[in-house]
Amino acid sequence: MSNAIIPLLLDSLASAALIFFAAVGLTLVFSVLRVLNVAHGSLYSIGGYVAASVCLFIASRQLNPYLSFVALLFSAVFVAAILGPLIERSLVRWTYGKSEAVQILITFGLFLILEDLQRLVFGVQSLYEDSPMRLLGTSSIGGVVYLNYQILLVAMAVLVVVGLRLLINHTRLGRLITAVVTDREMAQSIGIDTNRIFILAFSLGVFLAALGGALATPTSGIAPGLGADTMVLAFAVAAIGGLGQIEGAAVASLIVGFARVLAIYLVPSLDAVAPYAAMLAVLLIRPYGLFGSVTARRI
Amino acid sequence: MAFNGISIVFARCLSLLQLLFRLDRGLPPANRRLVVDGLAGALAIGLVATTPVAAQDKPSSVGLGVFTFTSGPAAAYGMPGKNAADLMIDEINAKGGIGGVSVTATYVDEAQGAQGVIAEYRRLAGDAKNQVMVAALSSATCLALAPIAEQLEVPTVGWNCDTHQLLMDGKSKYVFRPNGNTVPEFIAYAIYLLDRKPDVKTVAIINPDYAFGHDAAKIFTAALKALKPDIQIVAELYPKLGSPNYQTEISRLTTARPDVVFSNLWGADLENFVRQATPRGLFTSSQVILALGETVLQRVPLPDGVIVGVLGDGWWMSPDAKANPETVKFAEAYKSRFGEYPVFPSIKMANTLIYVKAAYEAAMQKNGAKWPTRAELADAMKGSKVTTLTGTVQTRADNDGLVDQIVGVTVKTSAQPFPAIGDMVRYKGDSLLPQAGQDPLAWISTLKPEFAKGLPKPGSYKIGER
Repeated sequence: MSNAIIPLLLDSLASAALIFFAAVGLTLVFSVLRVLNVAHGSLYSIGGYVAASVCLFIASRQLNPYLSFVALLFSAVFVAAILGPLIERSLVRWTYGKSEAVQILITFGLFLILEDLQRLVFGVQSLYEDSPMRLLGTSSIGGVVYLNYQILLVAMAVLVVVGLRLLINHTRLGRLITAVVTDREMAQSIGIDTNRIFILAFSLGVFLAALGGALATPTSGIAPGLGADTMVLAFAVAAIGGLGQIEGAAVASLIVGFARVLAIYLVPSLDAVAPYAAMLAVLLIRPYGLFGSVTARRI
Repeated sequence: MAFNGISIVFARCLSLLQLLFRLDRGLPPANRRLVVDGLAGALAIGLVATTPVAAQDKPSSVGLGVFTFTSGPAAAYGMPGKNAADLMIDEINAKGGIGGVSVTATYVDEAQGAQGVIAEYRRLAGDAKNQVMVAALSSATCLALAPIAEQLEVPTVGWNCDTHQLLMDGKSKYVFRPNGNTVPEFIAYAIYLLDRKPDVKTVAIINPDYAFGHDAAKIFTAALKALKPDIQIVAELYPKLGSPNYQTEISRLTTARPDVVFSNLWGADLENFVRQATPRGLFTSSQVILALGETVLQRVPLPDGVIVGVLGDGWWMSPDAKANPETVKFAEAYKSRFGEYPVFPSIKMANTLIYVKAAYEAAMQKNGAKWPTRAELADAMKGSKVTTLTGTVQTRADNDGLVDQIVGVTVKTSAQPFPAIGDMVRYKGDSLLPQAGQDPLAWISTLKPEFAKGLPKPGSYKIGER
């Protein structure tokens, strides 16, 4: 088993990166809007479908294959630009200040609509497009061949954490968001357009969800049902990290990734339950998650 | 005429019921619909059960309930089955239908889960027009539907239904499986592997996490241990059905450094696994066996030398298939309609419909050309021997089918732009199956290395050598 330690750690990092992308948008939206968006998983899979479709188009037209990397990013931007403002203005804004039950019911309804829309638009069969994965090649580490694309995903996840931290702490938009999160009424009273902040924050959450789906596409197919699985996992990560905590989501992704990979290496029959066993263990000790607290909210 | 009369009365009863429930504002519309549907189903079952004579009149068309996956990751396996059903039904109807009666199909998506599938089965069974159910793809669905088929006395023909648990009690009257089951299917791989690589010492397994995956692992392992007791299983992984990502599993398999990796992943799971494992070198570091590998040959570039098979004899390019003009015609028609050649789930479905048609013809021959009842159809299926597109299927006393097993390895061919199966063997259906009523795992444990010596060898199944 000693020869498996390096692969185990690398797999944990690679797995954590994918999980982080699935969860970070959910936690960001909760921190700003105080809405638990159950439709988050659908936005993740829509990002995947759009990215796969664009990459397939690039491949079918025999365009420069490196365009597929650009396509991954711009698919997420496209999804966020269209769906972010649309969903926030038409549905989510009516849930502000309402009970959690109302928020969950409305976003769950949205989840069902989006799942059916995906079937309607993209069909029921799986989509595959792995050219970005193939273009980057492989590396042998610890006796195991890894995709360089997996390593790229880890780097991207680190970039997103750092980028979000810079955005929140060192930009005007970040300060406005912080003001709204800290005291919404006070922010309004000093002239901050909270509606605009909500649209931007929700769209950023949609972008992160769609980016997660798009980046996952080259290493795994996209099929109906992916949204539900992603949502459950994202919620487990958000709960472990503390709802609304971006660094918490990053640490929780590492914990969940490590738990899952450890289970596959040592006790494969516990593979499916490992993330939720980790969630249970953390919540028993810290009911508000690793970085969460009863009242104060941070981003 | 009697049937028409009953239909009119039945329709009027339904109208009255709907009228009655329309007056009841206490029930929401969805519930009213549910109640009406439920009562309609119950009434229909009652009518069918109490008026056996009615079914003797030749209907204007005969319905088949066809259960398969038409959505989700399993649709990669289920849709070829549905496509084949569409094509085969068209071919049957073009030749005058069954006894002059045209055939129609109602498709049920198994992706909706067991409860929905059971409700659909009951609804379809409630319509006397649907005399036979072609159900189902998933072993889990088949196990859920089998007791209902017996209860409602509806002939139910498993077009896939691999689990050996389905007919193990030998008491089934209405459930049939004109296919192989997990026992011959996976013993075949153990024998082929040991013939091809007699020095194999370590094996890793990656199968889907439900009955089919676990049963296959048990059977394959038991057969290997019986035939070569020093074999070690170094890793057993059971990822969730529908998993999109296998990267960690691939790392785990690589670190175990097995001589052989065995898998019965299927549908989109198999396609995902192959796409992810190929660039990571799993196919070069170990001998890989993909039990359902033929289904991805046209879609994913599999390297040479991967052991693959068709869980039965349903390969459209097998020597028997190539020698049968009907099969060649079917394969070409399938290709021109759906864009690819029929994979073995397509052939399984087509063979099942041939089996159902043969049962109708046998039943009508027996009862003086009258339209058969459900009981007469079930009776005709018992012990039947039917020539299919790719061989023959013999129904045993326990309603299980005896079908040959084809196994081989992927090879490049100039005839097609995708790999074919070479170095093939075709094991006789009855040579890898215990007697009816015998516990399969106990039977496998009694096998000795000599057992394999009497069986055909890799490369023995060639054109003109059968």
